[in-house]
Formats: sequence, C-alpha cells, structure tokens
Amino acid sequence: MSYVVATDVGGTCTDTVIVEDGRSVFIGKALSTPPDFAGGVIASIRSAADGMQADLDDIFRQTTLFVHGSTVVDNTLLERKGARTGLITTAGFEDTLLVTRGAYGRWSGLSEEGLKHPVATDRPAPLVPFGLIRGVTERVDYKGAIVRELDEAEVAEAVSYLVDERQVESVAVALLWSFANPVHEQRIRAIINAHSPATHVSLSSEIAPVPGEYERTSTTVINAYAGQVVSRYINNLQNLLTQHNYRGPVLVMQGYGGLLPAEQAAGRAVHMLECGPVAGVIGSKFLGDGMGDGNIIAADMGGTTFKVGIIQDGEIEYAREPLIDRFHYSVPKIDVASIGAGGGSLISLEQDTAAPLVGPQSAGAVPGPICYGLGGTQPTLTDVLLLLGYIDPQRFLNGAMTLDQETTVRLFREQVAEPLGLSVEQAAIGIFRVANAQVTDLIHKITVEQGLDPRDFVLHAFGGSCPMLASTFALELGVQRVIVPYTASVNCAFGLASTDVMHDYSTTLTKSAPCPVDEINAIYEPMISAARQALEQEGFSEDKMRFRQSVGFRYAMQVHEIITPVRAATPLDKAGLEQLVNDFETLYESRYGKGSAYRDAGIEMTRFRLSASGMIDRPEFAARPRAGASPDAARTGRRRIFVNGHDNLTEAGIFDFEKLLPGNIIAGPAVIHTPITTIVIQDGQHGLMDGYRNIVIEIT
Amino acid sequence: MIDPITFSIIRHRLFRVVDEAVITLKNVSGSAITNEGHDLMVSLYRADGSLLMGGVGFLHHLTSAAEACKSIIRRFEGDIHAGDVFLLNDPYTAALHTSDVYLVAPIHYRGELVAWSACFVHVYDIGATNPGGFCPDADNIYTEGFSSPGIRLVEKGEINRSIMDTFLNMVRSPDMVALDMNSMIACNNVARARMLALIDKYGFETVDETCKTLIIKSEEKLRARLRELPDGQWQSRQYLSVEDEVCRVELTMTKRDDTLTFDFSGSSEQSRYAINCTRWASLGGLFAPLFPLLCYDITWNEGVISPITMIAPEGTIVNCTRPAPVSVATVGAIQSVNNAACTTIGKMLSASEKYAGEATAVWHANHFAVFLFGQNQHNKQAIGILTETFAGAGGARAWADGIEVGGEIPNPISRMANVETVEYTFPIRYLYRRRLRDSGGPGRYRGGVGMELSFVPHDAPDGGMHYVVSGKGSKFPMSEGLAGGYPGSPNAYMWMKNNGAQAGTAGDTPQAGSAAPEQQVVDWGVFPLMGDDALYVRWNGGGGYGDPLARPPEDVAHDVRDGLTSAEFAETVYGVVIDAGTGEADQSLTEEKRAGLIRYRKNGRQAATAANPRITCKHCGASLADDDGNWKEFAVLQETPMQSLGGPYASGGDVVLRSFSCPGCGVLLDTETAMTGDPYLHDQIFIRR
Repeated sequence: MSYVVATDVGGTCTDTVIVEDGRSVFIGKALSTPPDFAGGVIASIRSAADGMQADLDDIFRQTTLFVHGSTVVDNTLLERKGARTGLITTAGFEDTLLVTRGAYGRWSGLSEEGLKHPVATDRPAPLVPFGLIRGVTERVDYKGAIVRELDEAEVAEAVSYLVDERQVESVAVALLWSFANPVHEQRIRAIINAHSPATHVSLSSEIAPVPGEYERTSTTVINAYAGQVVSRYINNLQNLLTQHNYRGPVLVMQGYGGLLPAEQAAGRAVHMLECGPVAGVIGSKFLGDGMGDGNIIAADMGGTTFKVGIIQDGEIEYAREPLIDRFHYSVPKIDVASIGAGGGSLISLEQDTAAPLVGPQSAGAVPGPICYGLGGTQPTLTDVLLLLGYIDPQRFLNGAMTLDQETTVRLFREQVAEPLGLSVEQAAIGIFRVANAQVTDLIHKITVEQGLDPRDFVLHAFGGSCPMLASTFALELGVQRVIVPYTASVNCAFGLASTDVMHDYSTTLTKSAPCPVDEINAIYEPMISAARQALEQEGFSEDKMRFRQSVGFRYAMQVHEIITPVRAATPLDKAGLEQLVNDFETLYESRYGKGSAYRDAGIEMTRFRLSASGMIDRPEFAARPRAGASPDAARTGRRRIFVNGHDNLTEAGIFDFEKLLPGNIIAGPAVIHTPITTIVIQDGQHGLMDGYRNIVIEIT
Repeated sequence: MIDPITFSIIRHRLFRVVDEAVITLKNVSGSAITNEGHDLMVSLYRADGSLLMGGVGFLHHLTSAAEACKSIIRRFEGDIHAGDVFLLNDPYTAALHTSDVYLVAPIHYRGELVAWSACFVHVYDIGATNPGGFCPDADNIYTEGFSSPGIRLVEKGEINRSIMDTFLNMVRSPDMVALDMNSMIACNNVARARMLALIDKYGFETVDETCKTLIIKSEEKLRARLRELPDGQWQSRQYLSVEDEVCRVELTMTKRDDTLTFDFSGSSEQSRYAINCTRWASLGGLFAPLFPLLCYDITWNEGVISPITMIAPEGTIVNCTRPAPVSVATVGAIQSVNNAACTTIGKMLSASEKYAGEATAVWHANHFAVFLFGQNQHNKQAIGILTETFAGAGGARAWADGIEVGGEIPNPISRMANVETVEYTFPIRYLYRRRLRDSGGPGRYRGGVGMELSFVPHDAPDGGMHYVVSGKGSKFPMSEGLAGGYPGSPNAYMWMKNNGAQAGTAGDTPQAGSAAPEQQVVDWGVFPLMGDDALYVRWNGGGGYGDPLARPPEDVAHDVRDGLTSAEFAETVYGVVIDAGTGEADQSLTEEKRAGLIRYRKNGRQAATAANPRITCKHCGASLADDDGNWKEFAVLQETPMQSLGGPYASGGDVVLRSFSCPGCGVLLDTETAMTGDPYLHDQIFIRR
C-alpha cells in the first residue's frame, strides 16, 4: 500500500483525503483546533484512518506524499496576530501604504449599503503604522534606470531605528519601480541581514514583481506581517509529521493553484491566502477533467460563506483586484468570489420595508442555529432548511445530534413569519428564495460580467449546505446539470490531492503585437531555465515537467489586460504568435461584446507569464460496476419538503446515500441523506449515482 | 401587491444591473479618468425619464441624466426605437459640461418603451480650446467643444458612422475618444440585456409594480426622516476665486415639515470664467451630497427628488444663461454647491439628537483639474488629468476625525492612480507624493489631511510638456468646518522654475505664495513644464468638527508624532504644548495655554447682549441670545486673518476666520470663512410658540 495524504485546515473543520494506491479515496473530518492546528490535523487524519480500519502510524509509514492547505495566513491577518512589521520605501513616498490610492482602501470590499454611506466608513487600521515606515533616498525610473543611487548610510540608520529602537521583527522593502530593477531592494536586504540576521525580510520585487506601487507595497507588507507566523507554522507541521515517522516531502498549497515545497512556501506567506478554497476549485477541475466537463461553476456553501470559482474550457480564472480583510494585494491568485451566506447566516428583516435578508452576519458554531439547541435564539438559514423538511431532525450529522424543531418553529414564527404576515412554511419558503437569489446574483456577477453564459456550464455543489440549494438556483442560472461529488464535504482536501507542484514566473514589459517572435522567446528563456532548475532540484524528471505560457494583452491605451494562454507550441513561431493574437481578440469580444474592440489603436503585450509544473501522479479511480436504475433498496420513507413552485410543503421520497448503488436513478422531488450533508432533487429532475458515487442531477 | 421577497430580489437585481454596466464602462474605456479615477456614472430611468435606480459614481449626474432622458423623449417623440442610443452633452439642455458626454438608450420590451439606461464618462477630449475639456481660456460655450442637445448615434443597433466620424473628426486623440464611445455603447447594451432578463424572469407587471413601489417607499422614507428633523433654516456661503474675480455661492436651506428648500438667492452674477453652473448642474450639485447624507439607507430614485425644491435665480453663477462658458463647472461652482449643501445638511443633522452622528464637515471641497498634454516618452500624444484630484480629504464627523485622503461625498468610489502608472503614461517623474501637514481643519475632531506632490519632466522627447490648470478658489479655504471646527487648508499650485535640478531629491515643501522670483503661482491657464521646471500642487484638508481646544491633548500629540500636525500648529491652534523630548503633551503648559486662548476669545467683540434670552449655550447652559435676530450678534467674535494660521493656510487670500464663542464659557460655537463686510450667516431652529 502507498498513500497520499492531503489535509486542509479550515476555519471550522480540518478535512482529510487519503488516496490509497492512486485508486481509492478515503475521507476524514475533525474540528479545527486553533490556535494550535496540530490537534485538528491529527484527529482528521485519524478519522480517515478509522474509516480505513487502519492504524494512524501505519498510514504515515506508507505515505509517499503529504499535501497541505491552511487558513493560517488569513487568520493571522483577520485576527491581527502577525509580527511587528516595519516598512522601508522610497523617500517622498512614505505615505503610499497609508493613503491607499485615496478612497480606494476606504470603499473596497464594502457592500452596496456601505458604499452609499461614506460618513460611516473608514479604512482598516494599517498593518504597519506611520511610525514604523522609513523612507530612504534612491530612485529608479519607469525603464529601470537608476536616477539616484541608494543612500546606504540612510538605510543603515533606518534599519537600526526599526530593529533596535522599535523592535520590529519583520521588514517589508518596497521601492518605486523595483520590479523593473530590483538592485536597491536587494542591497537593502543585504544591509538588514548584516545588521540582524534573524529579522524577516520581504522584498516587493520578489513577492509581487508587478507595476503599481500601492498594491505591490500592500502585498509585501502582508507577506512581512504574516511571514514569521507561517515560518513557524510550517516548521511545527514538519516536526509533527516527523514525530509520526513521516519522512517524505511536504507540499503546501499556493493561491495561484499549485503546490510548493514547504521550505519555499515559508518565505511566501501572501501566496497562501485563500489557498484552501483555491484547492477546492482545482479539485473541481480534476473531477471535470474526468467527466469531460470543461466549463464548471464550483460552488461551496459552508457555515458562514458561499464561495464560487469558475473553470472555463478547462482554464481557471485569476482574480483581478484581490482583497483580504479589505487590504489589497497583487499576486496571481485563482479567483474565488464569496458572500456572507452560509448555513449559519442570520435571517433579519430590513427595518422599514420588512424585506428579509440572509447574512452576512453569522451565528457561527456557537451559539449556532436555533435547532442545534446550543443557545442560538436568532433564526439562521440552517433553521430554515430544517423547516423546509430538507434536514432530518433525527439524523443530523449521521444521527450525532438531534435537532430542536419545536423551539425553531416558535422563534422563527415570532421573529420572521409574523412580522412578514406569513405562515411559518410560507415564510421559510420565502427566505429560501432570498438565499437562492443572493447566491444566483453572485454567480451572475462573476460569469455574466466576464461575458460567460451560465447555460454553458455544469455546477459542482460542495459543502454542508450547497447540495440543498443547488438544484433550485441551478434552475434559475440555467446550468445543464448539477454534480454533487462523493468528496463534496471535503472538497478542498480533495483538491489538494489533485494539484501539481507549480512555480509561477512573470515579466512585466510592453511590446506591441505582432513583434519578432525572437523577442518574446528571449523574455521566456531565463524564466524557463530558472523553472527547470527549480523542478530538477525538487526531483522532477524532464517528462514530468510542464511549461505553460500566457501573455497579458490589451488594446494600446487601454488599462485592463486580458491574460491569454499560449496554445501553440513553444518557443513560439510566427504562426503561433498570430494565433495568440487572434485568441486575444476572440476573448476580448466574447467578454465585452461585438464592436467593443478598437483594433486601430494597436495591440500591446504587457505581461509574460510562465507556469512551470512538476506533475504529481494523479489518482485514477476505478469506476464501480453499475447496478439497476431502481433506487428502492435505499428508500427510507417519505416526508413533506419544499418543492419549487409549490406554496406548501409537499410529500417527497427520502433516500439513504450509503445504500444507493451506482446506476440508481432517483426521480425528484426527493432527498438523499449522506452522513454529512443532504442532497435535494427538485420536481422533474433526475439524480443518477455514477460509478464514482457522485450524484449527477440533470436540470430540465 | 408584490410579496416582500420578490420585491427584495428585484430591488437588489436593479442595483446589480447598474453595477455590471459600470464594470463594462471601465473595462472598455482606456482613460485614466474613467479607470483610475472612476469619474463615471450609470443609472436606470423609468419610461418617462424619472430616476429609477441611481448607481454609484459621480452623483451630480443622477438628476441631470434624468433630464437628458426627458429631453430626448420630447425631442424625438414618436421616433424612439429599440436599439437606439442618443448622445447629449449640451449643458443648457441637461448635461453638466460638454466633456461629460451622456449616452442614453431606451429599453424596449416586446416593442414597448419600458425604461432608459444612461451613462457618462469624461471623454478623453471634446475638441474645446484646451486639451482635455476643461477650458480656462473659454469666453463662451462656443469655444468649449462639440455640443449636442440630442443626436441619434446608434440607430436600431447600428452605429451611424457619419455622425460618429464627424464627432471623432472634431476631437484630439480620436482613438481614445472612440474607445470612450465604445465603452458607453457597450455599457448601455449590458444594462439593456440585464434589464430585459429581469423582466423576462419576473414579468413586466411585477417589475413595473416593484419600480413604482420602490419610488413610493423612497419618498415615504425621506419624508419621514425629514419630519424627524427639526424645522429651521441654515445658511452657508462659498467663495470661489479666479484670477482677480471673487464669486459667492449663497445658500439658505429651509426645512419645514417634510420638505426641504435650497434657495441660492444672493449668489453672484454669472462669471466671465468657465466655472458657472447651468440649472441642471446646480440641481445635480445639491443632490450629490444629499443622496449619501440623508438617503444612505434609501434607494436613490425619483421618490427622493420630490420633497426637494431648488431656487436658483437666472443669470447667476448657479443658473447661468447661454452663452456663458461652463466647461470648468464640475470642479467649479458645482463643487461650491456640493459644499454649501453638505454644510447646511450637516448643520441640520447636528441639530437633531437622533441624527447628529450623520453630520459631517465638508470633504474635499476643491478639486484641482490639471490636465497634462504633449508628446510622451513612447512618442505618443498623451492627454490626461492628474487623478490625484480624486483623492480628497475627509471632513470630520460628530464622533470621529475626517479620514486622511479619504475621498469625497459626491463620488463614493473615487480613487487615484499609482505614481508608477502616471510615470509610465507621461514623461514626468514625481519628487514626492505625500500627506500634507496641518492641512486638516482643526476641531475637536480634526478634518482629514490632504496631500502635496511635485514632479519634473523626465525622458520627454520635446523636453517637457504643458498643462492646463483650472485651479479655482485657491485664495479660500473651501472645506468648511462644522460646530466650531475650522475649515481645511486651501489649494495651491506653483511653477518652480529651474528648480527640479536636484533630480530625485524628496525636497522640502516649497513655500507656495512666496515672492521668490523663481516661483510662480499657476492656478488658471496653460503653462509649460520644461527643462528643469517642477510643478508643485497641494490640496485641501477636510473641515474640522467642534472646538479645537476640546481636542484631547494626547490626540494632538499623536498627530504631531504622525507628521499630520506641526508642533507650532498644535500650540497656536490647539493650545497644546508638545514636550520636544517625549513627544507627549505637557499637561500644565497646555492648560495654561488653553486658558489664555479662552480669555482671548472672551475678549472679543459682542454686538448685543440678550434682553429676553431664550437660547442657551449647550456647553455651559448660560443664557446666550434672544430668539429674534441672529444668535451670533450675542456671541463674542474674534476675526483672525486666515493666512495667520500659517502652514498651508499661509498661501490663501485676503479672508478672515470668524470665531463665534459663548461669552460665558468661551467655547467656540461656530466659525465662518468670510470676506470683511459680508453679513453673518444666520442659522436658526424654528421654535413653535
């Protein structure tokens, strides 16, 4: 036996997927144990081992690869538990970080309501206060030429001030135009290292080598702020694994969608932001590749948030202006949009119109929904799902918990139904519609805005709550089919197990298109050789390396670029470049409509990107043989549930997931209970269990 | 009757329609002013042109684009078809100035006109005398570029090439202007498609009913809010100067029951300079702060407009008559209208216990339109505004300091470009761009600080470039304070001749206004930036709130450490003496200093003493004033030349700070920025007898 173990430490749960001999998959789940993650990681792996009826240390001994994702960086920022951080920047521009391009840092991340109420707004407190920012004399210009040499005496003075007098533990260095010429930043690092080797240093030219000093500085500061915490975290993780006799490689998930060896990941904290949800999108892509679906909406609804990522033609979208806790950062990151709508989201009525809202406030795990009986007194979406008959009060979490229906009905009537002048059932149905509308709006936002038509997509439903809503909002989106994967409840961990090692490189340089192909290939040459060297060191042979190029294009004088993947063979020849330019134009018009392009202005290439992957053997799951279509053996009874288009609850069949066999087809309306979640099939829809135990719901 | 759930969903969707259309504008347009500054707007209108859903962006435009729709309806009655897009940019018909071009489009459902979408961007160029559209050199509207009271640019989905080509033939950098036009056509397409999808889903009847209800509810909510506020009358005055001319915008806002009247009687005659507002510009100008200040939780639609009346006498700077030039209106008198309305609304809110927390002193009172133009380092013609003008300073609130460089009220989503973006587009190099010390209006809560910047030519093929500056009002602080807070500092523009030679140095702040021969004030016109020249610009801080002597000394000391307040300013204005060694406030010296400043206030001039006092000081409870006449006659007055505040105030003109204090306790009750001889502003709550 050999195992790949993937664990994802989330805010609430730590999930595990163990792949056995590249064929079978086992899942485990445990509560996260902040601030010390170790307990949750071990409990989660043990939970999977229990399912395999195996001993934990036996599993570790036979594990060949350990893959990890974690919210550690997100939490460090949200809880403001990072290092005491200083910033060294170009003199005259000390306020760049604090000024946030004017109001941009004040309004970014606000809802419609927040935007409309400026008097009530402010920026989040900066990670580096003014007193810990020092300017040094130096200047590089737009083409990377040095206009003024670095004043090293000033640097030494600044370092001594920050480190000795102000006791900073970590220093961010972000100078103007450093991405075009990093020598001054590198020299500053040398001076800091010589002064105090223990001080953590983050250079903007390494962390975020992109134009735009505000976002680059903010990114570098985030990295510096969380850097030490992450180094410590990864160190502790490695020690923990060593204690359990694991000797193999440890790989850590990055927000751009690839894995990095733990030692390298430790210096790039900012790349771990949202890496769990990103792994979820990768997992979705892996499933889609297997099922022949190139266009996927990957939707995950847990306790507090609804998250969604888009895969188009097998490619994953990158975020444009990512934010963490309203701080901007600028590294390539797979786009995961989210809203505060999950099972624990509180239901409230707008004061004057009495219009109901779901979220964004959440009851969290404690006190939680009313029905948990843990002290929650305000209705949540989970309570509504119970009232709609989707959740079985006797069988919640495989019977681990009995839900309090009576109190839920009473409090829901008092707080929601009566103020709305509706019955409990009608009010619950109304709230369910509102939640679906919020989710649909978010998906519309990230598809239609990009010129994508949801009708060309299939929807993957992950997380505890999503499989209850998906068959309803899928109808409104017009997607073809909903798939609830077997691994839906541990999707991020599953994604980790299907990700490759990946190094991301980019060069910012403007070329007009077309230009001689040699000029483009010359830009890529050093990136490729650096990537090849890195992958070799990590033990990948040439046949396991994949290099993928993509180029940022725009019409000359435009501001927004569109990243266009290179499909032709590389190094590029003339025909390949022509194809690339055509691809850009096609992509542009599909996004912004016919006639929106303005070719006469000319076309520019502004960014040259390289993704270098070291391929890890993918699990190849064996399909189980199909039984007959009848699901009757799994039928456990009937219950009244909400069925779309009805004003009252309606009778529907109830099924036990564990007893369903591949090939079984369930006609809606129906509910399937899995040990962790519930899948709802609406009237007129059919759900098929496929050979991998995924439930595939055809939307009609 | 629609159920509240469907209602809520449709309301939310209508906002999303607007939001998606905004993103289309940004993605397709190439201008920094659109993309970096967010000088744009998209809104939806009912079939009759009344406002249905106002989006975020520059809020001046919500009402004037409504008028644009109505005007197109009148002009093209019986000849409006699905797929048409109309262009309108004549300020005397509906627009604010010629460069903010409206593209409005009817939305037809099953052949019937059911709604309109409208958007604008400040186009790259409009063919006016000066590049970029702001025309300090304009004598009249005829020199302010292309202008149309309504023309069909797209006919049933097909662009009318002859019109488009004629238009592009009249502007500089037609490629960039074409991108702007494409962005607005695409934006209207997106708005229409999303609106029709919404109607398809819920049915026309339901959507229409929801829209009607939304408007009724907005009106009900605003009227209910007005009834909660005290009846009264509040005044505000704004000075704006160009060259040797000083204009006034005078506003008396009266609130009775559930109505609000903005009366601009007494404002100056229209100016010979292009800072004038047409009627539509003034109306938009007063609504821009009203939406976020009074309707932050109310849908922005026609219902909000009904309770409001504007009186703007014809021939004045707030309702000029053709052919007065207006190209600088959006950074000219419109802003004075914004500021005046913000102040009177703030005074009204302050007078209410429930809503005092919503009051704010003026944010970013003075935009500075500096348009660079010339050949750039990539050998292309480049025109563009310094988007720093969208990075204003926040006004202080009744409970918190103003936000440093926090933006402005009339545009909730403004921002500025990175230095690196500007240096890539224009052949210039910044020497610094940083927060401006002592610029925030002093108060119990300090106004947010503004900024200062300086740059020199760099790699310019022509040795440099030129710029158009429409810097009205640099003689006056315009960000008025509230409840005794001081105004924020004024703007300043300096041409530093042969001064950029110390390339790359951060340099000291030049003393704008100084008489040194190598410096020249450049606030109106076209100027060169050549060779070793540097341009220096600094902009205003936000207004303060409450008496500066009530600001906790530790807050003042903190500001000094953060470089936002100088130690001198801390002492002279805040009465806080900073210990140079510790950086903390010296308690006993501070008490002594503050006591002295209170004594000085109480020694001021008092015009009358109360005979039948019905108004008391809210700080000490002492009798203050009779209720007939202006309470300020009974307060003690000190007049201080504004320049004597020092720091960035020193460059202002001949104007005084009037401080009205309680004769009993000496607390500062109100301030005015005033020219000698102008009457006191008169604010009063109507007392029911």
